[in-house]
Amino acid sequence: MEIIKLQNITKRYDDGFVALNDINLTIESGKFYSLLGPSGSGKTTILRIIAGFTQASSGRIYFKGKDMTEVDAAKRPINTVFQNYALFPHLNVFENVAFGLKIKKKPAKEIAPAVNEALHLVRLDGYAQREIAELSGGQQQRVAIARAIVNQPEVLLLDESLSALDKRLRKEMQFELRAIQKKLGITFIFVTHDQEEALSMSDEIFVLNDGEIQQNGSPVDIYDEPVNDFVARFIGDSNILPGRMIRDFEVEFANRHFKCADAGMRPNEKVEVVIRPEDLDVVAPDQGKLVVRAQTQLFLGDHFEIKAIDSDEHEWLVHSTNSVHLNQPLGLFFDPEDIHVMRLNESQEEFDARLEQYEDDDDEKQ
Amino acid sequence: MKQRHLGARLYLIVLLLVLYLPIFYLIYFSFSSGQNMNHFQHFTWEHYQTLFNDSRLLAIMLQTLLLALLSGLIATTVGTFGAIAIEAARSKREKSSLLALNNVLMVSPDVIIGASFLIFFTALGLSLNFGSVLLSHVAFSIPIVVLMVLPRIKEMDATLIDAAKDLGASSYQVFSQVLIPAIMPGILAGFFMALTYSLDDFAVTFFVTGNGFTTLSVEIYSRARQGIDLEVNALSAIIFLVVLIGVLIYYFLSVRSSRTKHNRRIGVKL
Repeated sequence: MEIIKLQNITKRYDDGFVALNDINLTIESGKFYSLLGPSGSGKTTILRIIAGFTQASSGRIYFKGKDMTEVDAAKRPINTVFQNYALFPHLNVFENVAFGLKIKKKPAKEIAPAVNEALHLVRLDGYAQREIAELSGGQQQRVAIARAIVNQPEVLLLDESLSALDKRLRKEMQFELRAIQKKLGITFIFVTHDQEEALSMSDEIFVLNDGEIQQNGSPVDIYDEPVNDFVARFIGDSNILPGRMIRDFEVEFANRHFKCADAGMRPNEKVEVVIRPEDLDVVAPDQGKLVVRAQTQLFLGDHFEIKAIDSDEHEWLVHSTNSVHLNQPLGLFFDPEDIHVMRLNESQEEFDARLEQYEDDDDEKQ
Repeated sequence: MKQRHLGARLYLIVLLLVLYLPIFYLIYFSFSSGQNMNHFQHFTWEHYQTLFNDSRLLAIMLQTLLLALLSGLIATTVGTFGAIAIEAARSKREKSSLLALNNVLMVSPDVIIGASFLIFFTALGLSLNFGSVLLSHVAFSIPIVVLMVLPRIKEMDATLIDAAKDLGASSYQVFSQVLIPAIMPGILAGFFMALTYSLDDFAVTFFVTGNGFTTLSVEIYSRARQGIDLEVNALSAIIFLVVLIGVLIYYFLSVRSSRTKHNRRIGVKL
């Protein structure tokens, strides 16, 4: 069910800077969404417009079909977990969590159980009387979540909420956030610049750059089928090479022809080819589809990151579980499905339409 | 711990002596039975007795305290709103010019402020009494309060306001439940500064006070002109003692509260 809809949202600042350019997006209830993009991409601006802290220059916001554009932040059924938590320093944990309920004039005997339940949900039982300054970053984070969810919002906004935590704690909180979202069944909109975080938690990701949505879809779709080289580069590591589409299911790059899984383009059209480093297998030179020489290799714990160059001086990034000999010829092997072909300047609608068209062809053939 | 350098210790001792010697000298002679401070005669409480029988002086002391409290309260209220308004100023230029106007009042000499108030009140035809003194004390205290509160507002995390709105707070609730508590230390500091400035003030009060009303500093000044009275010494001794006790209480309270916080942080049960 659709819960929030942004229609033609544009945000232009007084100095002429366009933070958001004609954003359209639909949020369905009960899902975990991520707005993913580099800093300055407009993701936080979208969040602030949804929360009501910032007014869009033009465009409308709908909440369950009702126009909410002019509604004050205080009256929206939405709560926010801020990047720096924004806990009230003069109130203790209990009073912080109870703040929203007290404002709504709930009777005290309803407030106490609600607050304790919220604290229980974020695993902070027994912390009610602590001062904010006595808590660690991770605990403050949990208080901020409890303070938001105790109001039973229909949508919870999280603004880079995990970025201040150390790596281990961040991983732990990712699992917990996901578990909380599943348990409450409310919509989460999570803003982040960390692609791993977005991939691991979301049902759906919106990738943003320069105030525009580049692509949206499930984490798997976005990882496997980026629409343009911004998305390909931003989400995970990738090898991006210029190429030429010879015909359907055949592409040329690195001066060779390869079978691929993409179609629906003009013959001889210039394209870009994406191959993920983990899809490249290191084999003996005579078995490889390409022959490269390793230049450097880094041991990253669970794999080696190898930088290699082919005979045309193209650099290849390879992830391998085994180490390789530097400056020796290596074969690289990959399957046709590992090759992802991107058309230049193709929008997501065009991409989806093309995908549908040739996947229908496949069905007909069968 | 490393021993402090001998020179540094000597310097501190001399410095404190220079600062405190005149006060102790004054207090010392409050116990002398003579009528002047030429030489100490023998110990007596006589000057304290005259002081406690001098209802005029005691009344003036109460008036001075009342004036300080009242002007401090008014100045704190006005100054806090002023600081909020300055911080809310739209352009940077507007903000800095407002702040400059505030600071001009801070640095201009009391004599000029006093004289200008005198001219202002007489031009308006207002009589010089408690009201005129109160107004001028409020006026010179406001800039101090603004300067004490402003950094607190600047330091305050602006997302606290967003957070309060997000949780459903109206503008008034944001103001009373988030903004004011967050800047409270600055407001209190401003109030105490205004209080001491008002208690301290001689020059401005001297200009704007009339027949019916006087403050301690003006009264002592006019008495001193007729020759030093050891009753004033006794009064000074009492005021010094009260201030000393107040400072000590404040010191112990702040030490204890920081220790409690520290203990709770490291998990010590008290």
